[in-house]
Amino acid sequence: MFDLELNIRSWSDHLRAGGNLKDTDILELENHLRDEMEDLIKNGLTEDEAFLISVKRLGNVNLISKEYSKVSSENLWKHLLLDPVDSNSGYQNRRNIILVVIFSLLAGTLVKIPEIFGIHLNDQAAELFYFKNLALFILPFISAFFIIKNKLRWKMIASILGIFCFTAIVINIYPSYNPKNTEILTGIHVPIFLWLITGAAYMGEKWRNCRSRMDFIRFTGESVIYGVLIFCGIMVLAMFTEMIFSAIQIDMGWFITNYLIVYGGCAAAMITVYLVEFKKSVVENFAPILAKIFSPLFLLTMCAFIVSVIVMGKSPFIERDFLIGFDLMLVLVLGLVLYVISARDMHDKASFYDFMNLALILTALIIDSIALSAILFRLSAFGITPNKIAALGENLTLLINLIGLAWLYLCYFVKKIDFIKIEKWQTAYLYVYAIWMAVVAFLFPIIFGFC
Amino acid sequence: MNVSKDLIAASATPLILAILKENDSYGYAIIKNVKEMSGNELIWTEGMLYPVLHRLEQQQLIESYWKGAESGRKRKYYCIKEAGLKELELQKKQWEMVNSALSKTWVNENEK
Repeated sequence: MFDLELNIRSWSDHLRAGGNLKDTDILELENHLRDEMEDLIKNGLTEDEAFLISVKRLGNVNLISKEYSKVSSENLWKHLLLDPVDSNSGYQNRRNIILVVIFSLLAGTLVKIPEIFGIHLNDQAAELFYFKNLALFILPFISAFFIIKNKLRWKMIASILGIFCFTAIVINIYPSYNPKNTEILTGIHVPIFLWLITGAAYMGEKWRNCRSRMDFIRFTGESVIYGVLIFCGIMVLAMFTEMIFSAIQIDMGWFITNYLIVYGGCAAAMITVYLVEFKKSVVENFAPILAKIFSPLFLLTMCAFIVSVIVMGKSPFIERDFLIGFDLMLVLVLGLVLYVISARDMHDKASFYDFMNLALILTALIIDSIALSAILFRLSAFGITPNKIAALGENLTLLINLIGLAWLYLCYFVKKIDFIKIEKWQTAYLYVYAIWMAVVAFLFPIIFGFC
Repeated sequence: MNVSKDLIAASATPLILAILKENDSYGYAIIKNVKEMSGNELIWTEGMLYPVLHRLEQQQLIESYWKGAESGRKRKYYCIKEAGLKELELQKKQWEMVNSALSKTWVNENEK
C-alpha cells in the first residue's frame, strides 16, 4: 500500500538535509508538490504515479537547494563550504555517526580517568567533584561535534575551547569550606553556562543572528525531551541486564554502575544531539504537541493555586526550598511558552495558543510577585546567604524575561508589532542568562569566601 | 520550440511581476499561468521559479503572505509592491526597445 504522507515526509526530509532550505521554503515546495499531484490525479493517475511524476517534475532536490542557497546570501558560506554533491551527503552522514561513536567513547573514558587518581565515581567523597565537573565531561565533545560539523574558524574554536579550559581550571582550583554552599551553586550553574557556550558552537559564525538563536532554543527544548527519553531507555536496559543476570546468580551491579551507566549516559547525550540536529522532522512534531497538552494543565493548576491563596488568605511561607520551587515554576512556564513560540511560523496569525501563552505568563507573574513580596520581606529578617541570593537572582532574571514576553505579546495582539520582535527579545535575553550563570558560578565563591 | 536558458532567465522577472500585477498568486499557479500564456512553450522549472521569487522578495519588489486555501492547506502567496510596479515599467520599456529594434531588423531582412 502506498503511503503518501510518509513519502512526502521523506521527500521533505531529503530537502531539509540539504541545509539550504528554511522550513517555510520546504512547506512552500511541499504545497507545490501537492498541487501538481492533485492535477495529475484529476487526469486519472493514481496517487503513487502522481507522486513519482510530481517529484520528478520538481526536479533534482539538490539542484533546488543549490539554487536556494544562491539566493539567501546568509547561507552563502554554507554553500561554499559544504559540498552539495549527493554522494557527499551520504559520506557526511557516515562521518557524523562515526564522530558520535568516537566522542561517546572519549567522553565515557574521560569520566573514568579521575579514577586513576583515586577519585571514584561511586565514592561519597568524590560526589561533589563529579557533580560540578559533569558538564565538562560531555559538553566539550558536543561542542567539538558542532565545531567539526559547522567547520568553524580557528578564532571561534579558540574562544570556545578557551572558555571550557578556563571553567575547568577555575572550578577545580577554587577552595571550598563547609557547608560548601558556593561549591554546590557552582556545580548547578556551570552546566547551564557551558550549555550556552556549546550553543555558540551549534550556531557557528552566525551566533548573533536572531534566527539561529531561535534554532538553538528549539534545539535545547527538543534535546531535553529526547535526552530524557533515551536516558530512560538506558535505565531500562540497565535494570533488565541486572535482573536477567541475577537469575543465573551473576551480579552485574559493578558492570552497570561502572561502565553501562557511564558510557551509556555519554552516548545518550551524543545520540540525542545527533538525532535532534539531523533528524529534525522526526523530532519537530513532538515538542510542540507536548507543550500544547501541558500548557492548559499548568495554567489550571496555577489558577487553582491563586484562587486558594485568595480564598484561604494564606501567604506562601517562603523558605529557600519554596523559592526554588517558584523558580522552577517560572522555568517551566518559560519552557512551555518557548516550545509553542519555536514551533509556530513567524507569519502565522495569532492563534489560541498565543493567548494561552499570554495567560500562562500572566498567571506565573502574579504567583511569583506574591512569592517575591514574601521573600523580600523575610530576607532581611533571616540574613543573606549565597543560596538565597542565587535563588533570588534566578527568580528576577526569569521574571524580567517573562515580563518582557508578556508585554511584547500584548503589543503583538493589538497589532503594534510583528511576531519577530518577540523572538528577538527572547534571543537577545540569552546574554543575560549567560552572564548571570557565569556570575554565580565564578564570582559567588569569591564574594562569599568559598563557604 | 526550445527557448534558450538565458532568455528564460531574463524574461522571468518581468513575467512574474506582470502576473502579480494582475492579482496575487502562488508558485504553482504562476508556472501554470506562464505555460498557458505562452501556449505551452515556456515551461518553467520549480528550481528556477522559487529562487527568483525569493530574490524578488529580498529586493523588496514583491512580498509574501500565507493564506489558507479551500483545500485546508496553507499557500504562500506573493503580491507586488510599489517598487515592483516601478521595476515592471522599467523592464517593459527595455523589452519594448529590444522588441522594436529586433522587428526593424527583421523587416529589413524580409524586404531584401
